[in-house]
Amino acid sequence: MDKSLQVISMYVLTHMGLIFLLYPADMISSMGVGHWLAILFGYALHVTVISVYMKGLGYFPGEDLIDILLKWGRTAATLLLLPVAAYLFIILVSTTRACSEVITIIFLSGTPLWATAALLIFISTYMANIGSEALMRTGAMLACLSIPLVIFLLVMSFQNADWRYFFPAIDKKAATFSFLLNRDYIKSLFAFAGGFLFLGFIPSQVSYKRKKILRGSVLLIPLYIISVYGPIMTFGQNTASKFQFPFIMNIDTVEIDWLMFDRITMFFLLSMIMFNILFLAIVLWQAVRIIHRPFQRLKPVYPLLALSLIVFVVCISIPGWVFIEQLFWWNTILRFYAFTIIPAVTLTIGFRRGRKGSVAP
Amino acid sequence: MSRVTAAGPARKWLPALLAGLLLLPLSGCWDNKDVNHRALPIVMGIGKAETGYHVYLQVPEVTKKGLVTRMVNGTGPTVSEVIDRLSNNLENEVDLLHLKLIMFDRSYAETGLKDSITAFVRARDISPKTMIAISRDPIGRFFEEYEMAVKRNQMLLYDYFEKNADWNPEIAQTTVWQMFRSINSFTRDVAVPILGIGTSTPIDITGAAIIRNGRMVDRIAPSEALLVNIFNGRGAHGKIEVMNHATVLVLSNRMTHKSYIRGNRAVLNSTISIKVSLMETKGSPSADQIEQELEQVLEARFAKLLTKVKKQGADILGIGQLFRTKIPREKLAGWRDNYLPFMEVNVNVKATVQNEGNLK
Repeated sequence: MDKSLQVISMYVLTHMGLIFLLYPADMISSMGVGHWLAILFGYALHVTVISVYMKGLGYFPGEDLIDILLKWGRTAATLLLLPVAAYLFIILVSTTRACSEVITIIFLSGTPLWATAALLIFISTYMANIGSEALMRTGAMLACLSIPLVIFLLVMSFQNADWRYFFPAIDKKAATFSFLLNRDYIKSLFAFAGGFLFLGFIPSQVSYKRKKILRGSVLLIPLYIISVYGPIMTFGQNTASKFQFPFIMNIDTVEIDWLMFDRITMFFLLSMIMFNILFLAIVLWQAVRIIHRPFQRLKPVYPLLALSLIVFVVCISIPGWVFIEQLFWWNTILRFYAFTIIPAVTLTIGFRRGRKGSVAP
Repeated sequence: MSRVTAAGPARKWLPALLAGLLLLPLSGCWDNKDVNHRALPIVMGIGKAETGYHVYLQVPEVTKKGLVTRMVNGTGPTVSEVIDRLSNNLENEVDLLHLKLIMFDRSYAETGLKDSITAFVRARDISPKTMIAISRDPIGRFFEEYEMAVKRNQMLLYDYFEKNADWNPEIAQTTVWQMFRSINSFTRDVAVPILGIGTSTPIDITGAAIIRNGRMVDRIAPSEALLVNIFNGRGAHGKIEVMNHATVLVLSNRMTHKSYIRGNRAVLNSTISIKVSLMETKGSPSADQIEQELEQVLEARFAKLLTKVKKQGADILGIGQLFRTKIPREKLAGWRDNYLPFMEVNVNVKATVQNEGNLK
């Protein structure tokens, strides 16, 4: 059965979690004007990579990334997958920590970090344990529950917008793509590179259509644009670049007289945390798929529990926000690897197979 | 693959039990504080003391007689420390979540509010939507008299600034986040209302302060504050305009701007079309006469306001916004110093009497 809709909602939701919390801050401070160009460039990269990736996967219907890489032999697969596992691990640690830090900064200032981190990890571990089909269904359900609210808040976020802050639309610096070398910009690419790998892990369980995913990814363009231009149009680039969470701040300025709630930020933030838990769950699940492969006799729940425990311990032993930023930065190399090498290798293996004419039925 | 197979009742119950345990962190107990153990101030006053700040809080309390408010104050090196101390001395914990208005002492506003505002935005315990005002009188006296006025007739200061309560378009309206924007933005400043203790009414709104980068540099009259509101598109609905011959009600206004750079100077030609309804007349002036008079009066007022804006280089009208398409960003950073004081602004008002009320 075609479950493309579930996969699309999973894909969009996990990206939303990535987009609205940390992405705008990096993006806004990476350049003075012409953010739209940088966003669209990042998106173009994203679409290119996922289409290459899915094209490669398409040569092996019903097989997942690990199966495909194993066709090059055990050693090659191990070598190729180890950095991916490390990448996923750092994502887990930094996302968990960043989320609990956001919760602490924005609303629960008295709650200790371990409590929020434990909650985040516990829920995502539970979800990861149930398996991918259930995860996909959860994604679809969360989409139904929170998308209307999120859309409402996204529209409202333009309440105080002054569209003139869009200008100057472009300058020489932006037009020559000098932002590509900007550290903040490279960091901001995590929002494009973080959430696509799961497409390679689900084919054996949840089938989807490549074209539909690509079409669904168009939904992300307005989200990327709003997350950056909402704050810019409300505050101006120079002011918005001072905020740790520009989009949350932007929602904070929205005043709705007829709504009984004074701070609608909470709703938005909780939706985003929910999406991030979903993201953590799917990343945990992927990581366990990789780790579990060599120890088939073991029940998958054991590596999962071990992994979550390690993530938890590492996560609460991080000293502060500066270190999280550092972690994000170090992860850039692995991210680059996962973003370029893995899709390229997948396509290469698939291409060779296809030429030999021995495509698996 | 990774589904746990239920191998016995323990396996079934364990997840349920663990899920039950989740309720503990989920409640966020560490931040739980009963509502009746919270003091929720609605107005905060801040003035400079010899060392640090003097902070006033108006805290509503529910008693048997109904809602009464109580004023508390304290001095300390930082605002948050004073609030902490007040919190310790009050029987309830002070929670600034529902703060509606922050009053700054005029002398403090004149030295610059950057530190306070930045701290508010950073700490997040105050909503960025909180209104800001400046007190004309020394803040200590203001709150003393205000307290007495409150005792006489229960009134809430912030009602004056609520759009759906007591606000009218002659009152400038500025929130914490707008002030923060003024501190950091290249092309945007704000006007903050100035309050004093009134003689027949509890409060006297005596105009607005011109803020440049978070520092009060000049003041304008209420009638000029109205122009600022018109210019910023905050609608002039219901405003009464007094002239030699008539009083009119502004129904709507529309603006078109043409901005360009000539040589090194910024030039702005603005046309403001304003539609009014007649309210009171002296004698029987014709509609044409009223329109003409209104145009003259408004143009003269704009000219006066613009002189102040240009002199101080404080862009409360947001004129710089209109030049964002014309000036590159590096130069835009110097907008307040290099362009605004030397710019040429031509305001052309077109008034139309839309109707004459109930009488012909």
